[in-house]
Amino acid sequence: MSRLQLAAIGISVAGIAISIYLTVLHYAGVVPACVASGPVNCEAVLSSPYAVIAGSSIPTSVLGVVWFGASAVLWAAPRGWIQLAWSAVGLVTVLYLVFIEIVLVGAICLWCTAAHILVVALLLLAVSSRR
Amino acid sequence: MSARKTVHARRPIRKPVSRTPEWVAPAAVVVAIALVVAAFFVVRWYTTPVTPKPLSQDTTAAVVSRITGLPAFEFNAVGQGTANNLIKPVNGTALTGATGKPEVLYIGAEYCPYCAAERWALIVALGRFGTFSGLQTTTSSSTDIYPNTPTFTFRGATYTSDYIDFRAVETSDRDQRPLQTPSASEQQLLSKYDPGGSIPFLDVGNKYAMSGATYSPDLLGGATWQAIASELQDQNSTQAKAIVGSANLVTAAICKTTSDKPASVCSSPAIQDLEKKLG
Repeated sequence: MSRLQLAAIGISVAGIAISIYLTVLHYAGVVPACVASGPVNCEAVLSSPYAVIAGSSIPTSVLGVVWFGASAVLWAAPRGWIQLAWSAVGLVTVLYLVFIEIVLVGAICLWCTAAHILVVALLLLAVSSRR
Repeated sequence: MSARKTVHARRPIRKPVSRTPEWVAPAAVVVAIALVVAAFFVVRWYTTPVTPKPLSQDTTAAVVSRITGLPAFEFNAVGQGTANNLIKPVNGTALTGATGKPEVLYIGAEYCPYCAAERWALIVALGRFGTFSGLQTTTSSSTDIYPNTPTFTFRGATYTSDYIDFRAVETSDRDQRPLQTPSASEQQLLSKYDPGGSIPFLDVGNKYAMSGATYSPDLLGGATWQAIASELQDQNSTQAKAIVGSANLVTAAICKTTSDKPASVCSSPAIQDLEKKLG
């Protein structure tokens, strides 16, 4: 397994950890440790109607667990287009979530941003690995 | 032999094909993402309501008079409306105010959009038990979530009632500068019933407490105080269902502390029904 694959799996595991943390807090009804000043406000984002999958009570962070989990599995396999395609799916989802944060809610959740950065990092690794 | 060697030596050398450096593709991805995110901020900036000018004292008084004079049938028609019931029963020593009546304690801040939303419901509810004077219009912070939500401030306002005492603490102004400080006993109540320190916090006679807003401040975004007051006259409006519904919940909690006085308010079917729900 190459160093690039190991890095991608490490990033995926970090993403799983953040997503599980946010999921557990959601079900516990606890606000994550986070700055709450001005536009940075985890509580505002995570208590908004967009924090759950539409029409359900399942937190969006569950999607993060699934996506990062699948990503870890895909990166363990030989490198191909699938990692890039999966990362592209992740990027589209991240851009949608960032749109919700900035435009609809008007607040940014630092924990969510950490997960978004990990998705972008995986995309960059996928782009680099295709060259 | 030597002639062949000469020909071979003169064969044109192929120019190496220049490859795009490896960093270009990832950098292009990062730049594209940055541009999209920047576009989101521009959209947000364009869609953020501007800070409305505060109303004059007379106009404010007229708006307050309209929202505290809603007809009884409207309260009954709306019931809980679309309000989220966040009020929980608590077991504490009865909280009484300066005149010995059951006290309604509010702790909030002027910058906070959830406080901005909840003040509308509180004013409507408290208006059924007494009279406000000196309320002033303001808006929540321009830089927080739900920016510039139109509301009132309890800073400098007075409230008189034959049934309850009302105590309000606005801890910060709309620019988050410190304003008023809760007393030690009020801080204790806040820590006990609202360990996360969320605002607005409401304690109704130490029989009921809640933190947070019972409806989304989004419902008020971009509206003027007069427009919201007009919407409250219509029992079917989104704002009335949220604000009057929230006011009914607070009213029911207050009625539980005043032994259902005044009867004109507390014995109405909607309030009796909500009293049962509060437990």
